[in-house]
Amino acid sequence: MGGPHWAGRIRLKNLGRLLPLLIFGGGLFLVRLTKGAVFLDTYAFLSRPFWPGPAQKEWLRNGFSIEQQTKLRLLEQDNRRLRVLLALKKSSSARQISAAVISRQTQGWWHQLEIGKGQLAGISADDPVLGPGGLLGRIQSVTPTTARVRLLTSPSSRIGVWVPRTGRHGLLVGMGTSRTKLVFLDKGSSALPGDVVSTSPASTLLPPNLPVGVIQSLNNQVPLEPQAVVQLIATPAAVDWVQVQLR
Amino acid sequence: MGPLYKRPICVLSGFTVPWLVLVSPSWLSLSGVGPCWAVLWLLPWALEDGWVSGMIAGFFLGILLDAISLGGATYVPALVALGWWWGKLGRRSPLLEGSLNLGLLAWIGSAVVGLSLGAQFLVKEFGESIFWLLHWSFLTLLSQSIVTGLVAPIIASLLLLLWRRKRPIPFLEKTRLRKFARNRKK
Repeated sequence: MGGPHWAGRIRLKNLGRLLPLLIFGGGLFLVRLTKGAVFLDTYAFLSRPFWPGPAQKEWLRNGFSIEQQTKLRLLEQDNRRLRVLLALKKSSSARQISAAVISRQTQGWWHQLEIGKGQLAGISADDPVLGPGGLLGRIQSVTPTTARVRLLTSPSSRIGVWVPRTGRHGLLVGMGTSRTKLVFLDKGSSALPGDVVSTSPASTLLPPNLPVGVIQSLNNQVPLEPQAVVQLIATPAAVDWVQVQLR
Repeated sequence: MGPLYKRPICVLSGFTVPWLVLVSPSWLSLSGVGPCWAVLWLLPWALEDGWVSGMIAGFFLGILLDAISLGGATYVPALVALGWWWGKLGRRSPLLEGSLNLGLLAWIGSAVVGLSLGAQFLVKEFGESIFWLLHWSFLTLLSQSIVTGLVAPIIASLLLLLWRRKRPIPFLEKTRLRKFARNRKK
């Protein structure tokens, strides 16, 4: 009669001893299941003060930017010299002025921007307007202190462009959406998705070699006029300041 | 023509329309398309002031809006037609200021403006881009009419109340209103 009582007490005692071990094992199992999330998060939290600060990141970025600017300046000098030799229109000697965007309609019936500088600043109709990344549109009308920009996405916008890789010309037509349509003037476009589209180097209306967009897809089903959908580089919906290139 | 046009404050309120178009608050838009402010202003004006005043207001408002847009299509025909229609409607049934009625009228008005602009663009840019233009016109029309219809019960009602206060209700109209309300109760 006393045997089983005694045996039960021993079993409970052993279980009591094993309990911390079981809890520890369970904890480890959980760590395994969560792929060490607790450890990693704790490590990240504790080591945060020692992470590389923004100063170092900024320093690296500045270094890269200076390098790129130097390269660009050298290339522009080269380009200018060659254009003079070829008797083509100058590209970067034109004066650029910055203007704030005071009103924007980038969706809807009108695709236009109103900018805070106008005739008094020397802006005139048809001046190209640039945003970060590339061409945004052209000045449609000016008042003494404001100017209206017709965006490239506007259905009535048409500009001559070319694909530098293939050297083929085309007409960039606005479609009312954030993308534009490129209608190639030649039969065989030989362009590919990912090709950059820029203003023509021989353009007289727009400054040459301004980046415009990237070809997203091609439609070669129209044999005489192959077409492509172009995603613009500069997005007017997010631009607060623009550069107007005076002609 | 009703007496609203005699009140400078009422006429000047029309100049807020191009300002609102220029400001185009992004928080009050659907797919980036804001409400048709011209419709929101013209609806209470025409309902209150009659069809002649509505047509004239629509014409001037159209010219004002054409001045601040890129061109290629004009607001004038649609706004003049709406001014006429709403003016006639206001004279026929004086109790149109219910939120649902105003919302519905504004929704239809915005769709009419959209159809007119879209048709003008389609005629002008007719070509291979027709599919894209149709798609764009439809999306813009739909977004704008929905936003306008949703905003109209607030803005148009407020304007209507404001202008009702500015204009004393003539005796005859008052009796008509009372009679209408009595019949409704019955």
